[in-house]
Amino acid sequence: MRRNGIGVLVLMVLMLVVSACSGGNSGTSSATDGSTSNADATTADNGQPKDGGSLIIGVQSDPVVLNPNYAGDRVSLTIDQAIFAPLFQVNNGKKTFYLADSLTPSADKLTYTLKLKKNLTWHDGEKLTADDVVFTINKILDEKQHSFLRSNFIINGKPVQVSKVDDTTVEFKLPQAAPAFEATLVQVSPIPKHIFENEADIEKSTKNNTPVGSGPFKFKEYKTGEYITLERFDNYFGGKPHLDSVTYRIVKDSNAASLALQNGEINVNYVDPQNVDTIKATGKFDIYPYSEGRLAYLMFNENSDTKQLNKKEVRQALSYALNQDELIQVSYGSKDYADTAKSALTQDVLYHTNDVPFFNNDVNKAKELLKSAGAEGLKLRIIIPGGNKVQEAQALYIQQKFKDIGVQLDVNSMDSSAWSQKFVDTNAKDFDLAISGYIMGYDPDAYRILYSTGSSSNYSHYSNKEVDKLLEEGAGESDTTKRGEIYKKVQEMLADDAVIYPIAYTKTIVAFDKQYGGIEQAVLKPVVIFEDLSKIYHK
Amino acid sequence: MRQLIARRLLQVIPMLFFISIICFGLIKLAPGDPVLSFVTPNMHLEDIERMRHSLGLDQPAYVQYVLWLKKSLTGDLGYSLINHQPVLDQILDRLPATAGLMGASIILAVLIAIPLGLLAAANRNRWIDKLINLMSYIGISVPLFWLGILLIYLFAIYLHWLPSTGMRTIGTDSVLDVLKHGILPCFVLAFSFLSVYVRYIRSSTITQLKEEYVQIQYAFGSGKRLVLFRHVLKHVLLPIITLLGMSAADLVAGAIVTETVFSWPGIGSLGMTAVKGMDYPVIMGITLFSALFLILGNLLADILYSIADPRIKSTR
Repeated sequence: MRRNGIGVLVLMVLMLVVSACSGGNSGTSSATDGSTSNADATTADNGQPKDGGSLIIGVQSDPVVLNPNYAGDRVSLTIDQAIFAPLFQVNNGKKTFYLADSLTPSADKLTYTLKLKKNLTWHDGEKLTADDVVFTINKILDEKQHSFLRSNFIINGKPVQVSKVDDTTVEFKLPQAAPAFEATLVQVSPIPKHIFENEADIEKSTKNNTPVGSGPFKFKEYKTGEYITLERFDNYFGGKPHLDSVTYRIVKDSNAASLALQNGEINVNYVDPQNVDTIKATGKFDIYPYSEGRLAYLMFNENSDTKQLNKKEVRQALSYALNQDELIQVSYGSKDYADTAKSALTQDVLYHTNDVPFFNNDVNKAKELLKSAGAEGLKLRIIIPGGNKVQEAQALYIQQKFKDIGVQLDVNSMDSSAWSQKFVDTNAKDFDLAISGYIMGYDPDAYRILYSTGSSSNYSHYSNKEVDKLLEEGAGESDTTKRGEIYKKVQEMLADDAVIYPIAYTKTIVAFDKQYGGIEQAVLKPVVIFEDLSKIYHK
Repeated sequence: MRQLIARRLLQVIPMLFFISIICFGLIKLAPGDPVLSFVTPNMHLEDIERMRHSLGLDQPAYVQYVLWLKKSLTGDLGYSLINHQPVLDQILDRLPATAGLMGASIILAVLIAIPLGLLAAANRNRWIDKLINLMSYIGISVPLFWLGILLIYLFAIYLHWLPSTGMRTIGTDSVLDVLKHGILPCFVLAFSFLSVYVRYIRSSTITQLKEEYVQIQYAFGSGKRLVLFRHVLKHVLLPIITLLGMSAADLVAGAIVTETVFSWPGIGSLGMTAVKGMDYPVIMGITLFSALFLILGNLLADILYSIADPRIKSTR
């Protein structure tokens, strides 16, 4: 027994030694490859993109579903972007056509004609035609199929009608003019009719486990909890992608992801502002902060049982207590990662303006307003999700600044699930403030559900009949000049009413391995990182 | 023996039933709503309600439990609320990774703990004993996630010896590659109960060293090493079987932390994701499997103990 025990021990030590030795070669294969490739990079920087190689992108979880009609989470949307090509995309106001060649509205803006590119194919070689687009939209509209996108295709209670004109032409008939319709189509990536037409419940179909798309990369392998690998689709209409494959490595813990990035096991990943310097210090990554069209804001719950926040003067006073620059500094470290926000609409939204009233850093004015509103010595409660370092820092800063104007603020850090349940509960009266953020897309009509009286997502319970009227008008106004005026007025009124305190238009930070190029052509995009992965290449 | 096994196996059924009720009740009492993880700002209230209905979450809690129980009795643990995959398939898919990690960790912990415990006992109150004691205290106090990150930094980032995440290099299926990926998580998980083992073996050995049979061996002129390994060790090893059974709970808890830190694709990391997303069916499935593992672990320990020491049977 003694001899056996020692034998096993020696074996294990040997195993460790063998592993340690071989680790120098393959355990850090990416890091080793990196040094070789950096040498190549000097030549590639001046020349044409090279073909071949693979890219590893870090993601936080397994995808929920690889079907664009159901993808709502960041990881599924990111992977779907590579597998399923969209009709067209809009980024910073610039429209780029992918599967579509053109989108033409009729003079009365009630009919939109979509022309598809010719000779489009699915990953399995079948032709992609107007039938697939019509099928996709009809499945989105079918209530039994539970697509998240359905309500976007219902305008004023009536569905959009979609029909095929010929193999490459699709016609959309709207029940009424809706300038936001293009923004709705941006979210659509067709799914193949020949794969799904006999499926009773597409959401739960096992065919989603081996998706067939039309994007630059096709599905190859999925190991749950580990990774998903996609391989190059040679018949991609945008031209053969440069990389042979793209892998999404699942790393759930953010500390572990940061370490894996430093170790060269991941080539692309999101980075927290506080980790930027560490990642930069490796010398292996470029850092790209980019706007996701997200607003971080302090919400005033006008429905709270304090019964004071429904007074405009009180909300203005609380806003006057804060200094936006300090708030950004304490929570994001610098303005490199957060732009100054004044409007409730984000910078990427049509007709956005920061030229609106803003109540910032005037303690005397704040005290005056509180006195005139009869709200001195207020005691308020703020809710934040526990573990969110940015929001924790913001809440503590706000608490400190409110003290200066005689307002006591209790910070209630909650479990993140409980926090979101309370935040969206329109009947919740037991909190006064919350810190949150939203990404609403580029059309201002999306903001109607946030600020219209009684709307489903009007979590602050704001109500202003004039704003309601303007938001309704904006939704149906086809004249862009008039529409612009309407939304400028809306922004001014929301700001003057201090319905929220806009903190910052936050930026997402991506670390990108210096061994790779083509990031400008691939276009950094909110939520999904890259708009077109086919353009990334190994230097 | 057969009677003992049969009786204990029969006890598993009411225990699992009881655990399932407690677990279901706790999930329902916990704050949060699984549907909220799907909500996007442009979703309408009707969509959210429709989703809640299609998932059966609009039913009273007891109805949901009865429906779940009925299905479970037929071996169907339902579907994940998040990705609609069968719960049983997901668990079975992840089980080998967790089993491998746990098995290797136990072996490693025992192999390290026995010589260290014996060494400490044989050199009681000397510097080596004090050093091992100090290390044990540190081991008990160190949080696993911190140790994990520290080791990743040292062995992956600084020395470049080992990979920091996952179970294999992408696209590779070689056993050596998996072993290499397993070294750090296996060591961290082993560490969670290694210190307890060392202290137990040390104190157990010290007790044995005072026994009459040890003194007799010394009187016959046997050396210290011979006495320790030939006579004392077998007496010390016996209670370790019980200790192994008791470690089952630590193993499950440790696996959750270790798998999350190292992105090890086992049941622990699956459970962590399920808890974050309030994925009730997956939480229930994993709880049942963990409970079964704990019960069977203890049963196995009892059986082994009664095989090793037949006197035990007569007292049961």
